[in-house]
Amino acid sequence: MIDHDIIVIGGGLAGLRAAIEAYKLGADVAVISKVYPVRSHSGAAQGGINASLGSDDSWESHAFDTVKGSDYLADQDTVEVLCKEAPERVIEMENWGCNFSRQKDGTIAQRPFGGAGFPRTCFAGDRTGHNLLHTLYEQVLRAGIKVYHEWLVIKLDVDNGRCTGLIAMNLADSEIEAFRAKATILATGGYGRIYQRSTNAIINRGFGISLAYNAGVPLEDMEFVQFHPTTLWGTNILITEGARGEGGYLYNKDHERFMERYAKEAMELAPRDIVARAIQKEIDEGRGFPEGYVHLDLTHLGKQKINERLPGIRQISIDFAGIDPVKEPIPVQPGQHYSMGGVTSDKDGRTPMQGLYAVGECACISVHGANRLGGNSLLDTVVFGRRAGINAAEDVRSRLWPDEDGLLEACRQEEIRISGMIGGEGENFASIRDELQLIMQEHVGVFRNKKGLEHALDRIRKLKKRASGLRVQSKATVFNFELMNALELQGMLELGHVIVLGALAREESRGAHYRTDHLERDDENWLKHTLAYKGDEPLLEYKEVNIGRFTPQRREY
Amino acid sequence: MVKLTIRRQDENAIWYDTFDVEERPGMTVLEALFRIQEKQDGSLCFRYSCRGAVCGSCAMLINRKPGLACRTQLSDARTEVVSESEKEDVLLKHSNKDEDKYEILVEPLPNLKVIRDLIVDMDHFFRLVDSIEPWIAAPEDAGGQQTLMEPALQMQIEKYTNCILCATCHGSCPAAERDGEYLGPAALAKAWRFFLDPRNGEEGAEKIVSGVDSEKGVWGCDVVYRCVAVCPKKVPPTSAILKFRDELK
Ligand SMILES: Cc1cc2nc3c(=O)[nH]c(=O)nc-3n(C[C@H](O)[C@H](O)[C@H](O)COP(=O)(O)OP(=O)(O)OC[C@H]3O[C@@H](n4cnc5c(N)ncnc54)[C@H](O)[C@@H]3O)c2cc1C
Ligand code: SF4
Ligand code: FES
Repeated sequence: MIDHDIIVIGGGLAGLRAAIEAYKLGADVAVISKVYPVRSHSGAAQGGINASLGSDDSWESHAFDTVKGSDYLADQDTVEVLCKEAPERVIEMENWGCNFSRQKDGTIAQRPFGGAGFPRTCFAGDRTGHNLLHTLYEQVLRAGIKVYHEWLVIKLDVDNGRCTGLIAMNLADSEIEAFRAKATILATGGYGRIYQRSTNAIINRGFGISLAYNAGVPLEDMEFVQFHPTTLWGTNILITEGARGEGGYLYNKDHERFMERYAKEAMELAPRDIVARAIQKEIDEGRGFPEGYVHLDLTHLGKQKINERLPGIRQISIDFAGIDPVKEPIPVQPGQHYSMGGVTSDKDGRTPMQGLYAVGECACISVHGANRLGGNSLLDTVVFGRRAGINAAEDVRSRLWPDEDGLLEACRQEEIRISGMIGGEGENFASIRDELQLIMQEHVGVFRNKKGLEHALDRIRKLKKRASGLRVQSKATVFNFELMNALELQGMLELGHVIVLGALAREESRGAHYRTDHLERDDENWLKHTLAYKGDEPLLEYKEVNIGRFTPQRREY
Repeated sequence: MVKLTIRRQDENAIWYDTFDVEERPGMTVLEALFRIQEKQDGSLCFRYSCRGAVCGSCAMLINRKPGLACRTQLSDARTEVVSESEKEDVLLKHSNKDEDKYEILVEPLPNLKVIRDLIVDMDHFFRLVDSIEPWIAAPEDAGGQQTLMEPALQMQIEKYTNCILCATCHGSCPAAERDGEYLGPAALAKAWRFFLDPRNGEEGAEKIVSGVDSEKGVWGCDVVYRCVAVCPKKVPPTSAILKFRDELK
């Protein structure tokens, strides 16, 4: 058994930021992650991080844009925290060494992003996540915080309603170990890979979210899945919104700037849900290119600007599509991008379960509501990561060590469960996973309706049955990735189930959740958060949205 | 069809396996490895995360050249001419004469211990990088003010902050091959990044310079530019090393 006051699960931005703060406050904190921290998905973020640094900008204006962008589903008390703390957190990252792009006068440069009334997105070229992640990792090194890398957490342990730590498997030797903690912070990122087309890292399977769900913590607003309008055709690698922020145009196959039809004022810089639907509609109605994409044209920006502001995008297009955006338009299509929903938690990262916190993309602190604005999730990770670190550090001061017995017993049970999956006749994980991804893509995507969702529900139930007979053929103990995939697939199926059920129940269109059989937003019946509890079937409950200074209005751009 | 010949290792046993994979246009070596792991041999192991050449997980030797598997297209790799290696432990059909080449050789990154199959001991690499103390020692309270930085300096630093710590350079470096304790191209490039950074102050800069002033540091480099040639992020470690040498003279 390994003991730490606080264990942070996840080495992305949210996890590292939480760990640094807890360390500063004197707690014995460790990070556990299934990959080396710098391999986390956060490193792929391109466009930037929002903060109202400009003298004519304000946190209130940032908050309004965020709430409007969320289609009024965001909790306004948490949005206020996010936007108020933004400048401080961004400047702190600068002080710690983040290599932000600069203006001529030496200050941090900012670019316009969709749905924002002000160019408030701070960026480091188009490699913002990479720069932020390495900066935080450097500070973790400096502090000497213990990192357990390449360990997969497979269970949260609960005793008397309190999280007492976790069970994890060391991928290097498949040994299963109990970790005891007075507080556990979940920062495991999103679930993009339950969709066939996703901008996410391949490791983003949402397993962490399912750990909390299985431990009895409700998931919030899972039906709100963000589809990014511009992902590279073929691989779905992200083409940052910064490309439109810098002035890129969208064209259909008839060379029409079709955004005119969908958002006359904001055009290409309308929020993501609107642009994604516009592109999908063009494609569905035969005005896209036959293989299912439209063009994102940057050629008029010129080589110098592209090299300065979007060098990564240029390289990605060359490497993965054989296209140089200086000379040719980029083929793009919508793809799954972000999980607005997640483990329910409050503005200090607290979940309803004592001793368990959740921050970053795995959490639903509800600052993004029904649709997240670009640049707000990197901000979310550092603002709420820090707050969870503070609160966990305070919490553990007065806590006694949890009892060992329960953890040791849970560890034994996991050993039995896992050895039972190895060898023998049964299905391999890959076919079940491929089917799940296809179902989600086809029926739970940019456009949804009752018939498709019911069909998806039925098929996911069947996949879950099949998955109970899942078998792992490889008996390797050193890096048995077949085993890891099989374990994580079970979590993916749970999340798919919750998303579909929530989407089926929500008979309205709001933000990224767009029902072709219920076209309007319905505040009277649906201005509320979905909570899903674990049961044979997920059990749905609802809770009120915290409305503050901004009363819901029709959302137009 | 593409034939991938993969070097396998389990403890002390080393062998080569060959797998046929159906090629789709645009398919990468990483995707081919997934097809093998999922459909043919679940025990094959290799690291991955982003599949977009930004996380640094999937460095390996492809046709005896260090590179990122997720960034290497099958169509490029299988038509590549591979010079016969000194070690005749594996036969490659490639030669200038082959009209329709379809074989790719995949091996783990050199100069680091193999743990199993294509997975090497990255802890060793990270220990070398971490030994230069790669961080800004910002004061507890910097007063909430951003540091002003010339855009030109920012862009100079950017060349080095682009490093994704993939160790591709380390796998191509003759000095690292000779001497396991040589800091290596990635660590030295990173040291230069922190030397350039005004946020580190003069004291920090001096500490960095003295930390690389040895045979294990900038004086151990052969200046053959192999690291610069293979780096997927266009980081120029050799320039950093030469600039350090100038500083020290
Ligand atoms: C391509 C792309 C570009 C983006 N660009 C932007 C942008 O410009 N601006 C913006 O604001 N947002 C952007 N986002 C969103 C943003 O990057 C993410 O929401 C954010 O980085 C999530 O950080 P995180 O710390 O919550 O999780 P992650 O960075 O995903 O980290 C999750 C961590 O958890 C670990 N983990 C997961 N499960 C387990 C387990 N079971 N056991 C052990 N460890 C586990 C992983 O190893 C990893 O270390 C982008 C997203 C994508 C996909
Ligand atoms: S310098 Fe280049 S090759 Fe070396 S670790 Fe960094 S990114 Fe990889
Ligand atoms: S998988 Fe991330 S660099 Fe190849």
